[in-house]
Amino acid sequence: MNKLTFSIGGVHPNDNKRARECAIEVLPLPKTVYVSMAQHLGAPAKPIVAVGDFIKTGQVIAEPGGFISAFVHSPATGTVKSIAPRKDLAGNNVMHIEITVSEEEIWADGIDLSDTLVTEIPEDKAATLDKIKACGVVGLGGATFPTHVKLNPAPGSKAECLILNGAECEPYLTSDYRIMLERTKEIVVGAAIMQKVLGGCRCVIGIEENKPEAIEAMSKAVSELGYKDIKVQVLKKRYPQGGEKQLIDAVMKRQVKSGALPISVGAVVQNVATALAVYEAVQKNKPLITNTLTITGDCMPDNRQHNYLFRIGVPLSFIVDYAGGIPEQAAKMISGGPMMGRAIANLDAATVKGSSSVLFLSEGATRRKAESSCIRCGRCADACPMGLEPFLLHRLYKAGDVAELEKASAQDCIECGCCLYSCPANIPLLDRIRQAKGMALGAIKARAAAAKAAAEAAKAAAEAKK
Amino acid sequence: MTNTILWTIVILTVLGLLLSLILFWVAKKFKVEEDPRIDEVEKVMPGANCGGCGFAGCRAFADAAVHAPNLDNNYCPVGGNEVMKKVADILGYQVTEKAPMVAVVRCNGSCQNRPVVNEYDGDMSCRVKAALYSGDTGCAFGCLGCGDCVNACQFGAISMNPETGLPVVDETKCTACGACAKACPKHVIEIRNAGTTPRNTRRVYVSCVNKDKGGVARKACTAACIGCGKCAKVCKFDAITIQDNLCYIDYAKCKACGQCVFECPTGAIHAVNFEPKKVEPKPVQPVEPVKKEAANE
Amino acid sequence: MEKYLVSPNPHIHANVSTSKLMLDVCIALMPAIIVSVLYYGWSELLILGVSVVSCVLFEWAIAKFLMKREGHFCLSAAVVTGLLLAMNLPSTISWWIVMIGALVAIGVAKMSFGGLGQNVFNPAIVGRVFLLISFPAQMTDWTVPAGFIQNVDAVSGSTLLGMFNEGGLAAVANVDYLKTLFLNIGGSAGEISALALLAGWVFLLVRKVIKPWITLSIFATVAIIATIFNLCAPELYTDAAFNLLTGGLILGACFMATDYVTSPMTTVGGIIFGVGIGFIVMMIRYFGSYPEGMSFAILIMNCCVPLLNKWFHQRKYGYGRA
Repeated sequence: MNKLTFSIGGVHPNDNKRARECAIEVLPLPKTVYVSMAQHLGAPAKPIVAVGDFIKTGQVIAEPGGFISAFVHSPATGTVKSIAPRKDLAGNNVMHIEITVSEEEIWADGIDLSDTLVTEIPEDKAATLDKIKACGVVGLGGATFPTHVKLNPAPGSKAECLILNGAECEPYLTSDYRIMLERTKEIVVGAAIMQKVLGGCRCVIGIEENKPEAIEAMSKAVSELGYKDIKVQVLKKRYPQGGEKQLIDAVMKRQVKSGALPISVGAVVQNVATALAVYEAVQKNKPLITNTLTITGDCMPDNRQHNYLFRIGVPLSFIVDYAGGIPEQAAKMISGGPMMGRAIANLDAATVKGSSSVLFLSEGATRRKAESSCIRCGRCADACPMGLEPFLLHRLYKAGDVAELEKASAQDCIECGCCLYSCPANIPLLDRIRQAKGMALGAIKARAAAAKAAAEAAKAAAEAKK
Repeated sequence: MTNTILWTIVILTVLGLLLSLILFWVAKKFKVEEDPRIDEVEKVMPGANCGGCGFAGCRAFADAAVHAPNLDNNYCPVGGNEVMKKVADILGYQVTEKAPMVAVVRCNGSCQNRPVVNEYDGDMSCRVKAALYSGDTGCAFGCLGCGDCVNACQFGAISMNPETGLPVVDETKCTACGACAKACPKHVIEIRNAGTTPRNTRRVYVSCVNKDKGGVARKACTAACIGCGKCAKVCKFDAITIQDNLCYIDYAKCKACGQCVFECPTGAIHAVNFEPKKVEPKPVQPVEPVKKEAANE
Repeated sequence: MEKYLVSPNPHIHANVSTSKLMLDVCIALMPAIIVSVLYYGWSELLILGVSVVSCVLFEWAIAKFLMKREGHFCLSAAVVTGLLLAMNLPSTISWWIVMIGALVAIGVAKMSFGGLGQNVFNPAIVGRVFLLISFPAQMTDWTVPAGFIQNVDAVSGSTLLGMFNEGGLAAVANVDYLKTLFLNIGGSAGEISALALLAGWVFLLVRKVIKPWITLSIFATVAIIATIFNLCAPELYTDAAFNLLTGGLILGACFMATDYVTSPMTTVGGIIFGVGIGFIVMMIRYFGSYPEGMSFAILIMNCCVPLLNKWFHQRKYGYGRA
């Protein structure tokens, strides 16, 4: 099979998938869990339980706070101890529900806890979407965008291709790889469900070439289950292969226009972990209260690499302690991959739906070197998968020229980190371009708002004339 | 030979005359009619183009001032009353005197008061740091210490104190243009009055912006306002309000009596330009020389 | 609790740095340097040494005492400038002239623009051109000094291009191209062996230090122009192989035109840059009064780099194909 890849830029970091042979283990529950109200993109969820309430595992404890928002369910059985702001991994205050876990676990009604594979796809699309929404499923590839919104494209746009993202192009991470090996069939059924919801479009499961076992297992499952129009596509190993726009480019040979959504070219991209969550939600009625997480790093001894099935709300520190503590040489702790993950400033923070790893990097691997002068080598521009010119954006940001930044498409930056990764002068390009992107997006939004206000004023004036 | 020289001179002279005529014509034709007072006003402006007045620069301010019906909405914080008086004289307006203002750093989270819990390794910019996380101390509200305000100041009035890691405002240089307050992503810097009256330079402010509950705030920083409300109770002028576990002194109402300074259990309220013996408060807050305190230690 | 690092993403970095890249360039220059030292002996070694040491010294002194800011001094970049300057000079030149060249290259062409990464013109070429104009006699004295390896043909006092410029086509009628590929006695260190230079260039390509487009477009333009002229009037103009193999063309195309700082940042810009150099160098060679025009061609195209950077951009995602 020919291997596909995206057409612009990209880098080739060493993949370091050290935890790839570690089977998924179930992480026990601590005495207390803290469930964040902001574990999805969009408005934070609103708590619907009160302090002192007894809640069962899988029970709804918070409802969506807006159109783009999601339900949150209790990951454990116990009593609500407090509903208060708590620091997340960046140290910012976020509303959390604190639950004291009781000894005995009682699951909420209607959840199928058996292991039997349910392969029939429900016909009723609306009911399926409702189930996905009610189970609080969000995209688990990083952005945590509510899945039911993404699977329900605006009228007039039609999905042509569902791309299942199994690229896992970030170095070190192996959680997607493990679920593709261990929960293969569930993922395929999940993909078939989403395919159905989207109106029977074709489905491509993209997997990078460095995971041959996963490719084999998924291909086998696809042919055994026999759903129509699902195929496994091998992708080249190249970062950021798993970026939404890059994946569409690689698989469909189409590019999403600046500012447009993937659906505008007929694409819907979902992570394999999301497919698993969709399967559990639709076929088992099980809300999204677990996810898989890799605990790894260059300074983590081989025997302490793990892939855990964790309940959301478990503090990161509990997971780290369970895995044997912070390795001695660790200099930085990261939630997510080394290219796009976020540094952990507060290890007491609770895990959220989108947590995919705890990564420990040593001083040598991660500390940034002193910034020196730009030698105009153009490596950043070669690496940028969006075809931008980071050196130019950097210069324009320093000059504060918002109009030129917009012209140079600062707003299209996907913050993948390729520019800074490849800069020989160690200029913190992305740090600054992220600010520049904010400036450009701000200008675009302000203009849109002004245009809207002007249009409304004109409309009001026209009506007043009548 | 002579011919060549002659021709050269003739041609160049004619060329010069021709071009000067063109220049003259262009200057006449494309002359922009402008109120001459704009130039006059611009001349008396400080010329820093800092944007503290809300306009793009000194000329933009002059243009606005000339076209405005009065000077109520146009005030140059840098030039102060003196410059505004000159502007008013040129334009024949009345000018309302404003009390002098100064930038105040409302954070006392020095390395000693506020232990650092992690090490920032990104671009040394407060904006970048604030977008990433709450900062390298337990306090999610206070100064980030990367010096965006120092870079924003056009008058060299702010510098970082390497001992405390906090910015220091030089009152003599500060023009209260507000560039630092705008540059600060945490809104730690506020433009406040430089004294209760133009003559009396005494003033009092809360040197903390932490909105966490008392215990949390105190744990992160020993100099934090814990929102206990003692200051509000003792204030005779109703100048102190408490919101989100943080007290705030309204400088319009404050008479700088200094009662709250004595009352504050954490030393979060700072008194500036008081005579040293009067301010000697609790042992928590060691006596500071006037100048240094103004600089917010 | 121990303090851990916190920074925005990415948290890892490709193992590249400015000094590593410059070191690669130094290594790539080594084959040509070794050949030239073998043939030109001690005097060549002296020029190389003086040039490198004075470039480093000037850069360090200017960065430290005049610019007074950290980060302006880059050892390996200064070494590259020093090596390139030395390779552009005749091996018989006096050491103090080399030092003047180094001062102009580093002081005028590089540091006065703001140091590493800020210069508009290639420092080594500026140094060479300054010397060529100031010391024309010394700069065109191609007497071959005693080398470590004695060459029977080593009697020539002029470069092949110089011979053509003075004596026309007849003077260079009996040139064995195969020989010039390996050894091109009469000329500066950088002109001596085309093969050694190309080996260094291939090394840079393999190490992904540079991209081949600028060099290839120069070669192609020179070959095309020379072929056309040679076909039209073979009695007046030298052919493509002669032009490609002689003079500083290969050194310039492989190592000087591809200098990061003074070349365009995009591939399309680079190709236009190369075509421009090729065109100008051929015009100077055929119609100019100087026998060699590589330095001037590169300097002229250096001026155009900001414009090329402004006009030619990368293909952006989502703007071209739907």
